[in-house]
Amino acid sequence: MKRLLKTGLATAIVAASLSLHAAAETITIATVNNGDMIRMQKLTDDFKKDNPGIELNWVTLDENQLRQRVTTDIATKGGQFDVATIGMYEAPIWAERGWLAPLDDLPADYDVNDILPPIREGLSFDGTLYAAPFYGESSFTMYRTDLFEKAGLEMPDEPTWDFIKDAAGKLADKSNEVYGICLRGKPGWGENMAFLTAMANSYGARWFDMDWKPQLDSDAWKATLTDYVELMQAVGPPDASANGYNENLALFQAGKCAIWIDATAAGQFVTNADSTVADSVGFALAPGKGLGKRANWLWAWSLAVPASSNNVAAAKKFVAWATSKQYLELVASKEGWANVPPGTRSSLYANAEYQKTPFAKAALASIESADPNKPTVEEVPYRGIQFVAIPEFQSIGTAVGQRFAEALAGNIPVDEALDNAEWVTEKVIARTRVLEKDL
Amino acid sequence: MTTSNSDMDRTVAAMDDEQLPVPKHRLHGPGHFLGLYGAEHVAATEFVIGAAFVAMGATIGDILIGLLIGNTLAALSFWLITARIAVKTRLSLYTYLDQNMGDKFSRFYNGANVLIFVAISAAMITVSATAVRALFDIPPQVYPYPTNLYFALIAASASVIAVTVAYYGFNVVAEFATICTPWLMVMFTAGGMVLIPALNETLTGYTTLGGFSEFVSLAGTTVFTGINSDGEPGIGLIEVIGFAWAANTFAHFGLIDMVLLRYAKKPIYGLCTATGMMFGHYIAWISAALMGAATASIMKLSIAVVSPGDVAYYALGATGFVIVVIAGWTTANPNLYRAGLAAQAVFPKIPRQKITLMVGAVVVVGSCFPFIYRSILPILAYAGLVLVAAGGIVFAEQIVFPKLGYKTYWYRLSGVKDNVPALITWGVCLVFGFVLNFINIMPFVYLFLPTWVLSIILYTVLAKKAGADKSYPEAEKEMEEFNASVEKHHAKLAAEEGTAHVKDTRALSRGIRAVWMVIGLLVPAILAWRVLFNSPDLYAYYVNREMFYDLTIWCTLIYFVFAWWDLQRSKSLQNKPEAPVSSGEESYAS
Repeated sequence: MKRLLKTGLATAIVAASLSLHAAAETITIATVNNGDMIRMQKLTDDFKKDNPGIELNWVTLDENQLRQRVTTDIATKGGQFDVATIGMYEAPIWAERGWLAPLDDLPADYDVNDILPPIREGLSFDGTLYAAPFYGESSFTMYRTDLFEKAGLEMPDEPTWDFIKDAAGKLADKSNEVYGICLRGKPGWGENMAFLTAMANSYGARWFDMDWKPQLDSDAWKATLTDYVELMQAVGPPDASANGYNENLALFQAGKCAIWIDATAAGQFVTNADSTVADSVGFALAPGKGLGKRANWLWAWSLAVPASSNNVAAAKKFVAWATSKQYLELVASKEGWANVPPGTRSSLYANAEYQKTPFAKAALASIESADPNKPTVEEVPYRGIQFVAIPEFQSIGTAVGQRFAEALAGNIPVDEALDNAEWVTEKVIARTRVLEKDL
Repeated sequence: MTTSNSDMDRTVAAMDDEQLPVPKHRLHGPGHFLGLYGAEHVAATEFVIGAAFVAMGATIGDILIGLLIGNTLAALSFWLITARIAVKTRLSLYTYLDQNMGDKFSRFYNGANVLIFVAISAAMITVSATAVRALFDIPPQVYPYPTNLYFALIAASASVIAVTVAYYGFNVVAEFATICTPWLMVMFTAGGMVLIPALNETLTGYTTLGGFSEFVSLAGTTVFTGINSDGEPGIGLIEVIGFAWAANTFAHFGLIDMVLLRYAKKPIYGLCTATGMMFGHYIAWISAALMGAATASIMKLSIAVVSPGDVAYYALGATGFVIVVIAGWTTANPNLYRAGLAAQAVFPKIPRQKITLMVGAVVVVGSCFPFIYRSILPILAYAGLVLVAAGGIVFAEQIVFPKLGYKTYWYRLSGVKDNVPALITWGVCLVFGFVLNFINIMPFVYLFLPTWVLSIILYTVLAKKAGADKSYPEAEKEMEEFNASVEKHHAKLAAEEGTAHVKDTRALSRGIRAVWMVIGLLVPAILAWRVLFNSPDLYAYYVNREMFYDLTIWCTLIYFVFAWWDLQRSKSLQNKPEAPVSSGEESYAS
C-alpha cells in the first residue's frame, strides 16, 4: 500500500510538473538597446503577474544588428521571434507582404484612437494597425545652456544651419574634450542616413525626382554632405563615423557635446539622473535652411508580431501591455512622468505633469510638424521623411550610408561618396523601374 | 561447322575494337573515373534541372537530404549493377545487345535511342539559343512553343550549325568538351555564390548572411519553398530522392554506362560516379536552383519559365553567355552524333551522312520549342523507363542465369534468329511501366524499379522456355576458342601499344598548366568568394560583382586558350596516336 501511495504521488508530481511545463509559454522578444526598451525589461514583473503562463525571453541588439536579424528572420519565416521591434518604415511594407499579424483584436481598453494620428497611420496598412508604437519621436536640437551662456550665444527656438555651424565652432573646446557638435556617423539606413536624409530635406535635396531618377548628384545633396563632413571633421568628436544614437547620447550625458541634433526621445535621458549635465540642457527645433523644411523626422519604435510566430496570442498580449496607457502610468509611478516612453499617445501630451518636462513642448511641436507625405521642399513620388518608403530603400540606404561614413572618416572625398551613392541608387532603381509598374 | 584457330585469330584481328571486350592494358584506375564522371555530369542540363526542382515545389530540407539520398542510391546502382556487369563483360551495352539480343531487338532499342537523344540534343541547343536570345534582346520565351520568329530563327540556326559540327567536326568538339569540366565546375559554383547576396537583398534588403542556418532559411523562403509554380504544395522527399535516382536510370539500371565502366579495373570503381552525382547532381543542381530563383526574382518571372541564358547572364555576366553556349553545345554534340549512329543502326541501308542530316532536321524543329528543354527531367526519367528493361534483361543473363545454371549466352549458343524472350520482355515491360504510370499508382520516377524487376523475372522465365537452361557443347567450345583468340589478340595489342602514359613534365607545359589553373580557375573562384563574403552592403556587392563579371570573361578566354594548348601538347607527346576521345557513346545529358 505504501509503495502504491509512493508511486501514485510520484506520478501525480510528474503529471503536475508536465502540465505546468506544457502550460508555460515562452515568447521571444527582439528589441533595440535603447533606454526605454531597457527600462521595459525591468518592469515586466507587472506583465508576468497578470500572465503567469507566459515567460519572456529577451534578445537585445544594437539598432543595425536588430534590423538585419529581425528582417532576415521575419522574411524567411524563421520563427525565432514572437515580438519584434520595428519602425514606421517596415510596418506597412512588411504588412503588405503578409509578414506581420494584424493587431486588429487588441483589448477594448487599449484605446487605439489615443495613438497620435501620424504615428498610427505610419504603422498601418490598408487601415489596419500592424505594429503598436512603444515610443514615438521626431528629432530636435539639444544644447548645453551653460556653454551657450558662457559663450554669449542664444539658441533660437527655430535655429538655422548657419547658426548651428557658427555656434558649434565657437563652443568647441577639443582640448577639454568638449565637441562643438555631435551628429550620427555610424553607417546604416536608420543611423547616419536617418539624420542625413532629414538634413538633406532641409537643404532642399531629395532622393528621387518625380520620375524616380536618383538626385544624389544634385547641388543640394552636395551642400548637405559637404557641410556635414566639414562641420564634423572640424568640431565633432573623434571617430565620429562609429557614433550612432547611443554613442552620442553617452557623449552628451558625459558633457562632451555642446550641441546634439537627434531623436526627441533622448530628451528624458539627457535630463535625468544619468546625465552629468541634466540641469544645463535646452531644446529647440531641428535646424532649417529657410526653405520651408526642417531636419526633423518622424519615427516610432514599435512592437509587432511576426506572422511566423507560434505564439501569436501570447505575443499580442505582451504587445498590448507594453504599449498601453497603463504601461505609461506604471513607468510614471516608478520613475516619474518625465521618463515615460514619449510620442505615442495624445493623452500623454494632455497630461499636466508631463507638460512640465523641459522637452515635451519642443518634442510635440517637432512630431506635429513632421509630414511624411510632404517630406521635401520639391515634390517627390514617395512617402517618408528620413527614409523612402519603398522596399529597396533598406539596401540603398545601407549602401549609401556606408559611403557617406567613409567620407566622414576622410577615406574618400565627398564628391566620390556622392558619385558612389548615385551609382548604386541608380542601379537598384533601374532594376526596380523595369520590374515595378508603379515606379 | 568449326573454324581453325588461325582462321579464328584472323577473324578476331579483323574485328572492330568496339565489337571485342576491352583489353586489360587499356583498363583504368579510380582516378580516371573520378575525373570522367565529374565531367559527365556537369552540363547545360544542370541549369534546367536545378530550376525544375524549384518549379516542382521541393522544400530546402527535402532537397538537401533527398538529393543526398537519391544520388547515393544512384552511385550505389552504378557500383552494384552497371560496373559489376561492365567489368564482367568488358563490352558496351550496344555491342552486348547486338551480339546477344538479335537484330530486331537492336533495331528497336536503337530506335528508342534516336528519340531520346534527339530530344536531349534539341533541348540543349534550345538552352544555347536562350543565351543568344538575351544578347539580341528578344523577349523571354515563356510558352511551350516559340512566340518570336527571331527566337525560332536563332534556335534553328544554332541547330543547323550543331548538326554541321556533329557531321564534320565531332571529334574537335568532343575533345574541346574534355577541357570544359574544371571550368564548368568553377562557374556553376561561382554563379550561385555571386547571386546569393542578390537573392538575400531582394528579400531582406541585406547582402550578408549570418551563417549556414540563415542560408538554409533564405533558400527555404526564396528558392525551395515547398510550393510549386502553380501555387500548390510541391513534391516531397520521396519524389526528390526518386528524381535524383531516376535522372540517370538509363545509365545505371539501363546499363548504358557500361560503355564507360567497361574500362574499370574493378567493379567498385563504379562508386567513382559519386563525383558526378555529388557535384553535378548536388552542388550544381542546388547552385543552378539558387541562380534560377535569384534571376526569377530579379526578372519577376516564374522560375518555371526563366531561361538558362537569363540565369547565366545574371549570375556570370558575359561569361554566362559562354557557359550556356559551351555547356549546351558540348552536351548536344555527342547526343546528336549518337542519335545519328543509332538511326543508322535502325536504317542500315541509308547512308550515314543522309541519316544524320535527317535526324538533324528533326532536331532543328525540336530546338524551336522551349517545352522540350523545360521537360528535360521527366524526359530523362521516362527515357530510363523505356530503356531499363534492356538493363534488366542483361542483368538476368549476367547475374541471375549463372546462379540458376542457365547459359548466359544462350542466344548466341543456340543460333536462333531473334531473341524472342527479350523482345517479348521489353514489350511487356513498356506496357507495364506506362500502364502503371497511367493509373498513377506510384510516383513516375520510381516506375523503373518494378519494371526492372519484372524484366528480370519475365526474361528468366521466357529464356528458360526458349532453351537457356540447355547445353550447346559445340557452340560453347567455339565460344571458348573465340575467347582464347581474343586473349591472344589483346596480348599482341598490349605489346604493340604499351601501357605507359607519358606524363608531360616539360617546363613550358607546366607553365601553361599553371596559367589555366590559376588565371582560368583560381582567380574567378576568388572573385566569386569576394562577392559572397566581402559585400557588406549593396554598393560593395555591385562593385565586387562588376569586377567578377569584367575579369571572369577574360579569365575564361585565357583558360580555354591555355587548356587547349596544354591538351594538344600533351597529346603530341604520346608515342602513339590517341584513341578517339569519344566514340559518340561516351557522353549524354546530365
